[in-house]
Amino acid sequence: MSNKEDILKRYRANVREKYDMPDLSDIKAITYPDKLVQFIKMTESVGGHVIEVKEGQDINELVKEMYPDAKEIASNLPEVTIATRNPDNVGRARDLNGTDVGIIRGKFGVAENACVWIPQTMKEKAVCFISENLVILLPKSQIVNNMHEAYKRIEFDKEYDGYGTFISGPSKTADIAQVLVMGAQAARSATVLLLPE
Amino acid sequence: MSTGHSIAAKEFLKNQTYSKWHDATFWAVRSKRDNMAYGLDEWEQLREKASAIKRHTITHLDEYLDQFATKAEENGCIVHWAKDANEFNEIVYGILKNHNVKKLVKSKSMLTEECEMNPYLEAHGIEVVETDLGERIIQLKGQKPSHIVMPAIHLNHDDVGELFEEKLGSEKGNHDPTYLTYVARLSLRNEFLTADAGMTGGNFGIAETGDIVVCTNEGNADMSTSCPKLHIAAIGLEKIIPNYDCLAVFQRMLCRAGTGQPTTTYTSHFRKARPTAHPMHIVLVDNGRSEWIGNPEHWEALKCIRCGSCMNTCPVYRRSGGYSYSYFIPGPIGINLGMLRDTQQHSGNVSACTLCLSCQTVCPVKVNLGDQIYQWRQQLDDFGTANPQKKLMCKGMSAIYGNSGIYNLGTALAHWANIIPSPIINCGLNPWAEGHKMMEFPKKPFHKLIKEIEK
Repeated sequence: MSNKEDILKRYRANVREKYDMPDLSDIKAITYPDKLVQFIKMTESVGGHVIEVKEGQDINELVKEMYPDAKEIASNLPEVTIATRNPDNVGRARDLNGTDVGIIRGKFGVAENACVWIPQTMKEKAVCFISENLVILLPKSQIVNNMHEAYKRIEFDKEYDGYGTFISGPSKTADIAQVLVMGAQAARSATVLLLPE
Repeated sequence: MSTGHSIAAKEFLKNQTYSKWHDATFWAVRSKRDNMAYGLDEWEQLREKASAIKRHTITHLDEYLDQFATKAEENGCIVHWAKDANEFNEIVYGILKNHNVKKLVKSKSMLTEECEMNPYLEAHGIEVVETDLGERIIQLKGQKPSHIVMPAIHLNHDDVGELFEEKLGSEKGNHDPTYLTYVARLSLRNEFLTADAGMTGGNFGIAETGDIVVCTNEGNADMSTSCPKLHIAAIGLEKIIPNYDCLAVFQRMLCRAGTGQPTTTYTSHFRKARPTAHPMHIVLVDNGRSEWIGNPEHWEALKCIRCGSCMNTCPVYRRSGGYSYSYFIPGPIGINLGMLRDTQQHSGNVSACTLCLSCQTVCPVKVNLGDQIYQWRQQLDDFGTANPQKKLMCKGMSAIYGNSGIYNLGTALAHWANIIPSPIINCGLNPWAEGHKMMEFPKKPFHKLIKEIEK
């Protein structure tokens, strides 16, 4: 078995001219006059839904209206009182299969491509993917322009510090004859609930 | 005078309806990419930065690999180093065996194709299930990918419908893509829930944090790693980049360039195993890369981020399909990577290029793909893979073009060739008449014309 040192030794023997790291601070990245409007537009264009939650409106009522037939709702968020399952205390991740609606929290959204930063904040992250429908709670003031700004501020959770993901719309594929189909292996729909401050 | 590529392309072109669809489909993807690129004023600046970051990183890879591995180990991951495909397969099998894994679900990884991992694991009794829909389709069909991003693009919905009727028990005659995708979803869902381990590739490895970053539209990499208790991530050495600031540049470009979307649905950062799983394993694979970096003309092929935009735009790829190339990666980047891998086996691909350079015009990291193909052609004689017929013709042409007397006589007499009856000159013995009619020679050669005008 060879190891790290053998590979690095061979690389060092072969590498020729060395190049400097470019300055990235002068990238003139796109910004938007109204980041929220752009975020909403992009979310819809990638197949997601956006609902602006009104001051004082109950999220639980809203989710019940959106999914009247939902039997299994999974969430570990304290404000979600209608949850029938909690990703923090299921026996195995696979027990979350059959979830009709998963409700999770996003930290911030990205206007240019509708990505929402979702660090793992639950014991079983499966809830973010295995649910048929995904609902993401996002404070509407938390929108950045582009991925450069996004990568300056992403943070992992202190407790669940091993994973985080950007999600932009529902799971999708065009692998059969290039026809776009929503709902490949993960959530078949994704709705961002924009929360007032 | 035919090359391996042109012989295979002839097969592809037999079905004109399909080959036209293939061409148009990829041109549509190229147009979507253009819309994305033109939508950002900074697009060309991003390409410049992306190229410079990659040049820097792949010429300082020893430092970044060390930083990445150290960080990943601090995070609690187990890092392995594989010098070649064989060692990679052994390492992966070893990990699976230690954990008593019977079934492995995996997301799309060109590296595992490169190392032919699936047949190796299957020979050792492990069931391997591809979970990207396109990869799953070709796995059920017993085929290999014909495109790196759209692996099943060579099949239409009827092909997939008939396949699913046979393999997944779908309704007879229902070949609707939405229905078929749903059938695959149900079948794969069962695989995710019952697998013992999940494997992902990696689009990027971040030296500063130790993250493996995987971009998918389907969410299959996340499904593969959310239920099974073991995650193995496999990446080529060249996938390491310094930090998040660099990642922002590539994340913005990868999907815009490859499929014309503003982003993939999921951009997932795997730093360590989830709390209820075994430690995550990362396998760093060399398999030629530490030698390719020393190739003065071709080292920049290592900048590639595998977006597929060079094949989408390539007029030859669009009109000949992925299976016409002898290397498992087709198109301009595949021609170059194939030659780096084995010149004897893959010289037949270098003719699959018109030198239009569309590939390097769209490449988000500015790999000089067409220039490199030109360079390979200059070396065919050294490799002993130059076509003898073409060599002889080149000698003949040097004799004609190198002597003005012979050249002038030739052009003055050429028009007599016009009276040779077409069936004789356009027959199979004349390789130039293949696929097009021979030209008609003018009575007055250009030389004569220009002299008359100048008088």
